[in-house]
Amino acid sequence: MIQTFAFYLFAVLLIASAVLVITSRNPVHAVLWLIVAFFNGAGLMVLVGAEFIAALLVIVYVGAVAVLFLFVVMMLDIDFAELRAGFIRHFPLGVLIALVLLAEIVLGVGAYRAGALELGAAGVAAEPIAGRSNIDNIGALLYTRYLFLFESAGLILLVAMIGAIVLTHRERPGSHKTHQNIDRQVRRRPQDATVMTRPDVGQGVEL
Amino acid sequence: MVDLSQYLPILIFLGIALALSTAFVFLPMGVSQLTGTHNPTTEKLSEYECGFPAFEDPRSRFDVRFYLVAILFIVFDLEAAFLFPWAVSLDLTGWPGWITMMVFLFELVVGFVYAWKKGALEWE
Amino acid sequence: MNLTASLSLIAPELVLSASSLILLLMAAWMGDRHTQTISWLAALALAAATILAVPALSGGASGLSSEAFGGQFRADAYAAFAKILIYIAAIASILVAPAFFERLRAMRAEYPVLIVLATIGMSIMVSANDLMTLYIGLELNSLASYVLAAFLRNETRSAEAGLKYFVLGALASGILLFGMSLLYGFTGTTNFAGIESALGGGAQTGALFGLIFVLAGLAFKISAVPFHMWTPDVYEGAPTPVTLFFASAPKVAAVTLTARVALEAFGGQVEAWRQIVVFAALASIVVGALGAIGQTNLKRLLAYSSINNVGFLLIGLAAASLAGVAAMLAYLVVYVAMTLGSFVALLLLQDRTGEPLETLGDIAGLSSRSPGVAWSLLVLMFSLAGIPPLMGFWAKFVVFRAAVEADLLLLAVIGIAASVIGAFYYIKVVKVMFFDEPADREVAAAGGVNWAILIAAVLFISPLGYLLTGWLGTLANTAASALFIAA
Repeated sequence: MIQTFAFYLFAVLLIASAVLVITSRNPVHAVLWLIVAFFNGAGLMVLVGAEFIAALLVIVYVGAVAVLFLFVVMMLDIDFAELRAGFIRHFPLGVLIALVLLAEIVLGVGAYRAGALELGAAGVAAEPIAGRSNIDNIGALLYTRYLFLFESAGLILLVAMIGAIVLTHRERPGSHKTHQNIDRQVRRRPQDATVMTRPDVGQGVEL
Repeated sequence: MVDLSQYLPILIFLGIALALSTAFVFLPMGVSQLTGTHNPTTEKLSEYECGFPAFEDPRSRFDVRFYLVAILFIVFDLEAAFLFPWAVSLDLTGWPGWITMMVFLFELVVGFVYAWKKGALEWE
Repeated sequence: MNLTASLSLIAPELVLSASSLILLLMAAWMGDRHTQTISWLAALALAAATILAVPALSGGASGLSSEAFGGQFRADAYAAFAKILIYIAAIASILVAPAFFERLRAMRAEYPVLIVLATIGMSIMVSANDLMTLYIGLELNSLASYVLAAFLRNETRSAEAGLKYFVLGALASGILLFGMSLLYGFTGTTNFAGIESALGGGAQTGALFGLIFVLAGLAFKISAVPFHMWTPDVYEGAPTPVTLFFASAPKVAAVTLTARVALEAFGGQVEAWRQIVVFAALASIVVGALGAIGQTNLKRLLAYSSINNVGFLLIGLAAASLAGVAAMLAYLVVYVAMTLGSFVALLLLQDRTGEPLETLGDIAGLSSRSPGVAWSLLVLMFSLAGIPPLMGFWAKFVVFRAAVEADLLLLAVIGIAASVIGAFYYIKVVKVMFFDEPADREVAAAGGVNWAILIAAVLFISPLGYLLTGWLGTLANTAASALFIAA
């Protein structure tokens, strides 16, 4: 009973916040609603027993992706009035696309009724390990059977990093001067920096 | 199937938190609506402290450098997320699993060294 | 799963991954001044990977012995054929780049590294034997491609190309993922062979939906009509060496991948996907031919030409026979040679100040100013138009023959008729170069590597190339039969 209650709670909140994401006028508010949606999605994931996915949703999506979205939204210089004018101008086209998508959803739902879902029917599927949690099972597969895909995914992350640096990083003029060169600092000796002189009275020193 | 009853406390906590925060938001609104007088005028609602309206939108544009930091954060956040299942299932995967993760970490360490050398981690 | 055997099967990918990591560190330490060195090393790594891929092709690897990682990856002759082609195209796009970027003072040592990483992605794509492998390979390639398209980040056109490619590419990835999840839901597996046996001969509505979404996502990658809208803009905006790369290597990867998905995962639903492929083929041929007519920018023109060529490639796939796939592979070889040749010729065209000559007006009367490039372009354009005795004609001929043999006579007839429309604008380019008043823009001499690639490409598609057709045909047949033994 309580499970059903929790499902409806999360599902209703998820849909409501998802609607608010696309209807809120301020993009920052939209991102905040998106975070709420992610949280409720994580709750739903817990309900179906995918605890690791739930944790990923909170750690990666709420913790990192939402922050990135916020930064990007704040980086954009959005003129809201113009945006709204565009919305009215393209409204008929939007309705048309929405109708097409709606038709697709209807057909898709019909498709689900037409054929049976056969999750886990193929002979090659791995058996879950008895007595171990969801996260153990994921680990046992991800790092052995799917190691090739896992390492390739590592390369994708690497490309994301290179891409971000190539596209946004700029050498700022003057940044080299302030650069701390630890090696040079350590190699520096007193005799490089100070000079001992014994000037005669009234003669002064040459530096 | 996961034993969901272990999550009951957090569900109760969520319910109470939701109820309390709703109360904290709407109770004062309701109380002030009922007790206070509410007749705003344009004069009352205009800027008052410095005597002139705001020059520009307070939401100034962010530097693109924030974006770079956020992307790097996501990459390493994901890396950390992959460490969880690896750590708990190491008894099942053994050496192959250990080596797999080390290769994965090496790929990202190369990326990290690259980012460091390029100065992407420096603000100025 | 035998790990050692699996690792030996992915030797080309391993070499490329290791060298991409080393080259990345070199790029960080040596800086942009040493891009030339890093480019040559990257080309060397790709050449090594090419050599490693050869045994699988000549040995005709197929079946279970070519499966790695429990059937997620397949290093058969078919994959080897595509890989060799991809690696060669990648080498070309690395070697032509330094001269181009140096002129713009935008030389970045990351360029060869990103090309190598994109190539690893394509390598995984053509060897994919599982929906997850397919997706990982596709994303690795796409992500690197988005960055490459926006590589000249200070130029609005390049940044716009990157953004456009990224947004539409992300949409296509979403469609593909949706289709894949439907397929997984209805068949219970992501393995191609598993999907085929789970679907059997029939196709339930749900799985059919999955099939259509997967094909739509892949059609975006090969820029087949109606998913071609991004192609002209991205090809025009991206730096020319990157455009050369986009038009050659990813096309090979995506087309061969589409054929593998269609024939291995949906081998029992040929009738279902054939309609889609036939439609996309005809639409691509017609839209590519008609769209090119009004273009004045040469890069846009070549973009439409590539859409047009994808149509002919898909005719080979629509035949769904061994001969059809072999014809498609042979066409790919000729297409890559023609594409590399045309874009390298474009790279050679620049005036004394280093401004590229990119429009039809710029190349008016080119034959008097730069006869070498003009005559090469003449051969390339005639070959693209499919005029005998050039190799472009042979490629179209084998594709149409396969279609006729598969009882797709109507498709072949319409295709031939539409290729006549296409011939119009290719010949128009030749006419502008040879018979128009010379434009008053000087053409500067340019690098030796570019000339070497141009001469190699022109020689290959010239009638001399016919000496190779027997050999090429055998290789394509071996490669294609790997697909049909496994199926």
